[in-house]
Amino acid sequence: MRCYLGIDVGSVSTNFALIDEDGQMLKKLYIRTAGKPIEAITNGLKMIQENFKDNIEIMGVGTTGSGRKLAAVIVGADVVKNEITAHAAACIAEYPNVQTILEIGGQDSKIIILRNGVVVDFAMNTVCAAGTGSFLDRQAQRLGIPIEQFGDIALRSKNPTRIAGRCAVFAESDMIHKQQMGYKVEDILKGLCQALVRNYLANVAKGKEIKPPVVFQGGVAANSGIKKAFEEELGVDIIVPKYFDVMGALGAAILAKKFMSQNKYIKTKFLGFEAALREHTAESFECQGCPNLCEIIQIYEDKKLIARWGDRCGRWSESIAV
Amino acid sequence: MRIGIPRALLYYIYYPFWKTFFESLGYEVILSKPTNKKILKDGLESTVDDACLPIKVFHGHVIDLIDKVDAVFIPRVISVEPKEFICPKFLGLPDMIKNSIPNLPPIIDCELSAYKNKKGFWEHALAIGRYLGHSKPKIMKAYMRASIEFNYYKKLRINYGILPLDCGEKSFYELASAKSLHNEDHSCKFTVLIVGHPYNIYDNYVSMNLIKKLQNLGVKVITPEIIPEKNILDGAKQLNKRLFWTLSKNVLGSTYYFLKNGNIDGIVHVASFGCGPDSIVGELLERKLSRDYTLPFLRINIDEHSGEEGFNTRLEAFVDVIEGRR
Repeated sequence: MRCYLGIDVGSVSTNFALIDEDGQMLKKLYIRTAGKPIEAITNGLKMIQENFKDNIEIMGVGTTGSGRKLAAVIVGADVVKNEITAHAAACIAEYPNVQTILEIGGQDSKIIILRNGVVVDFAMNTVCAAGTGSFLDRQAQRLGIPIEQFGDIALRSKNPTRIAGRCAVFAESDMIHKQQMGYKVEDILKGLCQALVRNYLANVAKGKEIKPPVVFQGGVAANSGIKKAFEEELGVDIIVPKYFDVMGALGAAILAKKFMSQNKYIKTKFLGFEAALREHTAESFECQGCPNLCEIIQIYEDKKLIARWGDRCGRWSESIAV
Repeated sequence: MRIGIPRALLYYIYYPFWKTFFESLGYEVILSKPTNKKILKDGLESTVDDACLPIKVFHGHVIDLIDKVDAVFIPRVISVEPKEFICPKFLGLPDMIKNSIPNLPPIIDCELSAYKNKKGFWEHALAIGRYLGHSKPKIMKAYMRASIEFNYYKKLRINYGILPLDCGEKSFYELASAKSLHNEDHSCKFTVLIVGHPYNIYDNYVSMNLIKKLQNLGVKVITPEIIPEKNILDGAKQLNKRLFWTLSKNVLGSTYYFLKNGNIDGIVHVASFGCGPDSIVGELLERKLSRDYTLPFLRINIDEHSGEEGFNTRLEAFVDVIEGRR
């Protein structure tokens, strides 16, 4: 079977989406990056190969996410795209008339505004990661609640308490204070959901016109408490797509499929599943060439240098053909 | 005697004038190094807390010059256009430097105010010359040469669309010549207007190579500096109130001009975190552009943090938006 692979290497999770020629999802993977993107990528490749053996032929690969360059070097990618374009592509494929995409991932959050099926505006969180997945993870852990149950517990609340959502550090001390005061866990969780939504709308979505249909995707969309808080705040129904947690990867696969169909005479750069068996290592050093002291990252495949980046001037990155 | 000029702030506008003026008076002009990690770090450590990034960077450049020169030129700039002002931090800059940085060589901090009229530039030059002990005719001669050179450079810049970008240690002024340029790239797919304060746009370190990155993505970059002044004034007239900040006037004037006269595909606004005028101008731009999505608009806030990945993601997505709308 001919198919296309999308890989989204994010700060918290590394996701894979395998689609067939009609764009139907054959397999999705959600792997925790756990600070080791290379392992996450190779593990994902192995899992797909074990699952399908020789029944599939990869016709194109797309990578996205903050580790898109790394994934492209290891796997061999035809399309290396930013997360915004990838998320929009995946969403449009399922909901052609979407006008607003809310995306909250592990460490960043975005809003994408579309009109007539075209992205017209977007914004990303800047310096602050308050209200993203890793913060929710941490709070759930602190309260001893499995993150999967976070949303359902929050939904039980009848009297949500008010939590300061401007900053993750303040939100945490606020929550601890509310706990000591004797508030119920569900009220605190619901309060947290509301605070995060307020913060998102005031920072990331500031000044943007949020028109329905509104689609909510990214790992945090699993949290029904946040979804509900968005619905209450915006007064519209929020759609959570079926593959909400791997939309970036799905988008990358769709973009790869599109790219290959536009460039019929190009062969895919996919290095094959054997790539996963080779040993990949990363090393870094500080360049002493000028006072910038750039940190240069070198990626090795079986001791062979295959990529280098991190320099501002191009002295190192341009001296190797990728 | 060697006079040091920090490669920061108004350097990106007036360096051709200053260099010619000082050299005509018989001095050697030394530029600080292009902004680098050390300059930024020195600047961050020495500047008062509430200053903006460009002011901090300026401090770093002054520190870079300390052991290399006999005097540092830090003019007290109040106004460069009649009835307009420049940011008040420029006005207090010599004092900030003197109070924050120890072991300084003498500072040439003569006042520049063209608020009443353009004669302010001559008075400024005269004060510098007098401070350095020169006669009026000699100063006049140096001033004339510098003005001619500056106007010639400005014409070249606008006629050939030369962005005042440094390259390595070479200053934009050395690099600007008619023949070296105009190798206009026909592979450019889009034209994007980048607006913002010149020292934020052209400092390759501070802007994380914004211009080069956009060019590599197939974008032809234009900025207020290569637009004829009358077009900017034309655009600024459409505002319902006269803007009294020169640099902000250039930002809004050029944006409004192009909105009316078409042929650009997107606008990038570069603002520095904590800048008062930028925050207002950014808001005005956003209201004008985003409300009905007239043109793709990207607002970039620069501060001392150097995470380039998020920055690249925004630029790439922005170019995708332009492409998608075609």
